[in-house]
Amino acid sequence: MVDVKLENIVKTFGETVALKGIDLHIKAGELFTLLGPSGCGKSTTLRIIAGLDFPDSGTIYFGDQEVTYLPSSKRGAVLVFQNYALWPHMTVFDNVAYGLKLRKLPKDEIKKKVEWALELIKLEGFADRYPTQLSGGQQQRVAIARALVVEPKVLLLDEPLSNLDAKLRLEMRSEIRRIQRELGITVIYVTHDQEEAMAISDRIAVMNVGTVEQVGTPKEIYETPKTEFVASFMGKTNVIPAKVVERNGDRVSVEFEDIRLDGLYYTGESDDVVVVIRPERIRLKPIENAVSFTGTVDLIEYYGFFVEVVGLFGDTRIIARTISDREIAGLKPLQQVTFYVERDDVIVLPKQQL
Amino acid sequence: MKVSKWSERLFGTPLFDPVVTTSFLFPLLYLVAFLIIPVLAMLAIAFQYNGQFSLHWFTSLASDYYISFHPEGEFYKLITMPTGEQVYYIQGWDFGVILNSLLVSISVMILTTILGTVFAFVMARYDFPGKDIVRILLFVPLLVTPFVNVFIVKKMFLPAGLINWVFHDILHIFPHPIWIDGLVGVIVAQTLTYYPIVYLNAYASFINIDPTLEEQAENLGSGGLHLFRTVTFPLALPGIAAGATLVGIFSLEDLAAPIVFQGNGLARKLMSFQIYSAFTSGFNVGSPQLAALALIMLTIAIMMFLGIRKYVSLRQYAMLSKGGRWKPRVAKPKPWQAFLIYFVVLPVLFLSIFPQIGVVLLAFSEQWGDTTWPSGFTLKHIQSIITQPDIERVIINSVMYSTVAIVVIILLSLTASYASSRFKKSKLGPVLDSLSTIPIAVPGIVIAMSYFFFFAKVFPDTPLDPTNLLGFNPAMVLILAYSIRRLPFAARSISAGIQQVHISLEEVALNLGASRWKALTGILIPLILLNLLGGAMLSFVYCMSETSVGITLGSINPEYYPITARMVELITGSVGGTHLTAALGVFLMVVQIIAIVLANVITKQRYSFIGLT
Repeated sequence: MVDVKLENIVKTFGETVALKGIDLHIKAGELFTLLGPSGCGKSTTLRIIAGLDFPDSGTIYFGDQEVTYLPSSKRGAVLVFQNYALWPHMTVFDNVAYGLKLRKLPKDEIKKKVEWALELIKLEGFADRYPTQLSGGQQQRVAIARALVVEPKVLLLDEPLSNLDAKLRLEMRSEIRRIQRELGITVIYVTHDQEEAMAISDRIAVMNVGTVEQVGTPKEIYETPKTEFVASFMGKTNVIPAKVVERNGDRVSVEFEDIRLDGLYYTGESDDVVVVIRPERIRLKPIENAVSFTGTVDLIEYYGFFVEVVGLFGDTRIIARTISDREIAGLKPLQQVTFYVERDDVIVLPKQQL
Repeated sequence: MKVSKWSERLFGTPLFDPVVTTSFLFPLLYLVAFLIIPVLAMLAIAFQYNGQFSLHWFTSLASDYYISFHPEGEFYKLITMPTGEQVYYIQGWDFGVILNSLLVSISVMILTTILGTVFAFVMARYDFPGKDIVRILLFVPLLVTPFVNVFIVKKMFLPAGLINWVFHDILHIFPHPIWIDGLVGVIVAQTLTYYPIVYLNAYASFINIDPTLEEQAENLGSGGLHLFRTVTFPLALPGIAAGATLVGIFSLEDLAAPIVFQGNGLARKLMSFQIYSAFTSGFNVGSPQLAALALIMLTIAIMMFLGIRKYVSLRQYAMLSKGGRWKPRVAKPKPWQAFLIYFVVLPVLFLSIFPQIGVVLLAFSEQWGDTTWPSGFTLKHIQSIITQPDIERVIINSVMYSTVAIVVIILLSLTASYASSRFKKSKLGPVLDSLSTIPIAVPGIVIAMSYFFFFAKVFPDTPLDPTNLLGFNPAMVLILAYSIRRLPFAARSISAGIQQVHISLEEVALNLGASRWKALTGILIPLILLNLLGGAMLSFVYCMSETSVGITLGSINPEYYPITARMVELITGSVGGTHLTAALGVFLMVVQIIAIVLANVITKQRYSFIGLT
């Protein structure tokens, strides 16, 4: 169990810059997630930590030891591949025992450890099966056991749930969390699914086109995004382009369409901003210390356990989400509607430069 | 641990690793030493005259003997046989050695394409009673019996041969019997020998077309010939063209047909035969003019090869199939189609397998002179395989050469395929790729000639020196030639195996602490073992029946003859020799059948020993 430090990691593939100077500090024993859309560099970062690719520049530390160019085989950062990469010509036992045999452990010790690992993943009694005789979820567990049994310094998981069906995904998610807590191991987890990332992680790094946009706990990332990208990537949200029209210390007034919102917190330099409002923070009834804006109802969408009201304000559409039927009782398209948001739930961020 | 920029550039991995380095360097150095240097050294001779650089030897080829735009002689003529019977004697025109070779090659390409495509389309798209038998019969022309199958083709088209028996004697379609000889004979023989190559490629292409592409076209109103012309054929064309080009190259370098038809002077006027005959008649290979001719032949073959590579890579249509069921388009033929299948396609098929049938008949018959069918049944020719010491010796020789060769072939193709499919960032990868496929386009006779020069120069007065005649032992030279010539095909099937093993299976082993060597021997090789075994077996078959080098460098010292060297001696020599050649042909067929059946059983995949499927 070590902490992992990445300093200014740069990696190019031909002409394209995959990683543009990544800095990360993953603490010992935490479950740390690299989250981002495909092509953001999260898998490349993981492969570089595993020693399967090497950065063009930058340094990687495991604890105090520099491992930047240490071969994968000597690193102890074990990767569980997205496709599980189980060897089809070996039994479950041989797959799991592979790393132990390389470490020349005595036979009975290997047996003991493999049994321990299979017990950990709840696949006792499957030792003699071949991978093709296992279901997707079971293959996934074997891949994890094979990695855990060599007692890695860091466990790396590359989109581990993406090949599983929805139900199994939830089950494996808590399973991974349980194993991580039980062993207290440092885990670096890669996913493109923000919901999965929030549910499982101690901390998340949100990545976009080769850079880290923000690092923080799921709550921090969700509630106080630092950039427009992070705000829009973390779930369905309203991102409204606006202009700062007045500044008063760390409070500003912004304008979009002909709506003016006063007293919002913003310290950025640029006057081109976006106003980020989570749909579930919008109320349709007056509340304390709120900003409000009035437009017409464009659409009402019924999702079962919640309802979304799309309001049209000039040319801007804003979505409000409510679980209370009473709030929208009698509301119909084309009617006038007023949205209320608590002032502190309105996040103003500099507009992303394209 | 240091990263090495040059290791990354050369071998595609920043961590220097002996296994990776060897995988690149072993096949590369082998090919440079035993293909590039010998061929270049020989070609250098073609550019020298009086010790200076000169195009003299090339301009010396600009005579009517080599290139003539005014063809000599008649394409066919009506001649009177000693029996008084009149016969159409068909031999072709003489455009000179170089143009003859080109025209023969192009004719064979066209004919094999028609034959191969029609057979493939019928087999891929129609379901008719007897199809399973046809499927097995189509396998027969694939069996390689050097020289003797051409000998049977020649017999079929003699005045008393099978063709005239059917079309003149029985059906009375021909007003006079025909006698096909000379260049036309070569074309017919090569067409019947090589059309399976186009067939296999075309069949694979038709089978791999996403049925929805054709269904959509039908849905939009296309059908019949229009559908074939606008959708089916264009999609299959890259595969068909690749097969046809391979046939063109094989035709260019073929020696069996010109040797068997050499009684007619026209059949001798082909580049391959010219080089071959100079080789065997007193080993006049020192002639720079021949080196120039070899260079022209090599250039034509390489241009064809590069042309098709470019064309196919431009038109490699990825079939964009998004799941769904893949229902093969197999239909019952309409009555007129059934008529064509039973009364045109199947008779032509029978015609094309007759050479192999004829080889068996010849091997088991007492006598087969100028008659349609042989007479007298005997086992003595087959028995002489084990009783006649000279026959026994050539078989043992060939088995030894081939056994060593396949070990080399497997090592070469395994390392080359591993290097180029696993370390794609390497700058050496594309070089290795091209070098290991280029032997397809290097005629065997060119390799033989260049080895002759090379080994005489580098190892004079040793057993490796071909000019040492009876002191010469061809074992090493033959093994080198076999391994180089077979490499592209073996490497291709092994590459296909490696590509089916996802790279993460090796990466996870490395990641868990394995060395490259462990990951290669413990993970990759066990996973592609069946491909390796299949490749080894098909390579063995190829080596056993290799001709060009076997009948040149192999036929210097009788003690060390491979099978084909003895076969060519027998078929061009004494009268009874043809029966013995046929017996050796039957022996080779049996070896091939065993190897192919084993390869198919072991790998559970369809293989042909040409390595094209």
